[in-house]
Amino acid sequence: MNKLFASIKKQPIWIFVLACFVFFSFASPYFFDTGNFTNILVQASTIGLIALGMTFVMINGNIDLSVGATLALAASLAVGLQPELGITGAVLVGLLSGILIGALNGIIAWKTGVDAFIVTLGAMIGVRGLVFIYTGEESFYAQDLAYSDFGASEVFFIPVMAFIFIFMTVVSHLLLKYTIHGRNVFAVGGNRAAAKEAGIRVGPHMLFNFIFVGFMAALSGILLSTEMGASTPNLGRDYELWTITAVVLGGTRLTGGYGSIIGTLGGVLAIAILRNGMNLLQVPSFYVLIILGSILIIVLFIDKRFSEQQGQGVGA
Amino acid sequence: MKVQISSVRIIQHIGKISLLAGSLTLGLSGMAQAETFRIGITQNNVGVDSYQTTYEQAFKDAADETDNVETVVLDAGGDVARQISQVRDLIQQQVDVIIIWPTDGQAVVPAVKRAKEAGIPVVVTNSNIAEAGQPLIAAFSGPDNIKQGAYSAEMMCDQLGGKGEIVQITGQPGYTTAKERQKGFEDRLAEVCPDVKILDSQPGNWNREKAQRTMEDFLTSYDRIDGVYAGDDNMGVGALNAAKSEDRADEMIFIGATNFAVGYEAMARGEYHGSVYQSPAEDARNALETAIAVAQGKEVEKMSYFDTPKITRENMDEFEKPVF
Repeated sequence: MNKLFASIKKQPIWIFVLACFVFFSFASPYFFDTGNFTNILVQASTIGLIALGMTFVMINGNIDLSVGATLALAASLAVGLQPELGITGAVLVGLLSGILIGALNGIIAWKTGVDAFIVTLGAMIGVRGLVFIYTGEESFYAQDLAYSDFGASEVFFIPVMAFIFIFMTVVSHLLLKYTIHGRNVFAVGGNRAAAKEAGIRVGPHMLFNFIFVGFMAALSGILLSTEMGASTPNLGRDYELWTITAVVLGGTRLTGGYGSIIGTLGGVLAIAILRNGMNLLQVPSFYVLIILGSILIIVLFIDKRFSEQQGQGVGA
Repeated sequence: MKVQISSVRIIQHIGKISLLAGSLTLGLSGMAQAETFRIGITQNNVGVDSYQTTYEQAFKDAADETDNVETVVLDAGGDVARQISQVRDLIQQQVDVIIIWPTDGQAVVPAVKRAKEAGIPVVVTNSNIAEAGQPLIAAFSGPDNIKQGAYSAEMMCDQLGGKGEIVQITGQPGYTTAKERQKGFEDRLAEVCPDVKILDSQPGNWNREKAQRTMEDFLTSYDRIDGVYAGDDNMGVGALNAAKSEDRADEMIFIGATNFAVGYEAMARGEYHGSVYQSPAEDARNALETAIAVAQGKEVEKMSYFDTPKITRENMDEFEKPVF
């Protein structure tokens, strides 16, 4: 019981997830259903995949605001280049674009020492411009139906998007918790100078995390485009805000040094369950925003209270 | 962790009980009221303009006035991804009909397909979805844009007295509405007024500023322009402004479509000559009626249009000023 209490203190967002779960199970006859659970996972996967990568970057004490634009660019390339390169080639170019933007963000932040907030803010604006130039402000459509069939397909009886999300969550959790790189994520975020003294190559380390989040944003965008069989130039607007909200809801500190994938998963599910449940209860979507805003502040308040009591900085 | 697992089990039990209770009440109410239809709608972007805001309100009002209809009213906020999520949620609720106001005519096609595969008929409202989706939908409810184009051609012909040289400002390239209005206008104009010549056609992208620049180019290129046809009033007023700043507005006839408040006002001032009146409330009521007919299993026209009459200076008193 003590252990449960301790983990709840660490992950206050899961209380909210459970509360939502119980509430909607009673409130809507359509909520408690395996079909709906996979629905929620699919709906969570877009923000969720980016949030996994963002957790690494934010524990590092950095942030990446360019993920929404990266998502749009990757989706546009993966759909738009299909006539020339075929599906596989176009998807690879899409993923590569995410990796490149991540690398660019990381290298600029590392070499110039400019704050990641500013670097990625610039990337967010610039990459969106790139998307508009490349697409000519028009939507692209996949002629090959195999592309949208992939988005509708299932693996082990669950939709492929949900499966990839679960798989990447496990991978990210293991990477963060059980590898040297994962340990270093906390060390760099907790105290950058000390991490440097201890022999961690901080620059390349952060670069890796920026590449990781760029890749995840691209992956997320491409999966989203398979669900639509299309890409639109406005895809992923505001997704950086939702991603950061999910990560912060999950207990990761904006100042760095503290956070977890389990928490991020909770934050992502909180948003997805709220949206899904509210849709089932047909509450206008504006209320979801009010509730999420309030929850964000409450979670941070709880977090601050407990962290002050314990005085702890680093944890997983 | 063990504690958490067992609590999950408890929740599962509770959930099953509530599900059972839910289906029980659903069954009872089903017996009491023979045919209650549940209609779900996912709209494009309600807050973005007053056409869509008025549409939503009119839809809700119409649903309240109709017996045996429950509605689930959702808004995608202009986000395709969210609209697809909402279609999933509507399928999950097993509504009888889904009405969709597409955020993107092509990108929603897989979602429409999913609904059809789940056995739920889809009615598309306001703007149609792409060709690939046509076999998947039960009906389209909205304005007849070919007819709107034809109406504009007739008004242009009347006001010019059958002769003249005109320019055309079209909507967003690639949009069905833009293409249909252009086709309707050009085809009908050739029939009723073979002596009116279209000098040039350029896109204004539904945007007033863009239309103004397009018109400025026309004014430079052509010394004589007798009339301007714009794909909607927003662009028509942009063209009017361009002509006014060159002091050439008086020599031209301005005809638009989808009467906007700015077009209505310009018409009242005598500067603007004709448009097509498209009421968001009619749009909403037509969508709901079509969906109910589909739910009842009635035969419905695949293309279910609502009336969009001509509006000119002469009859504008019969119409309320548009809210958008």
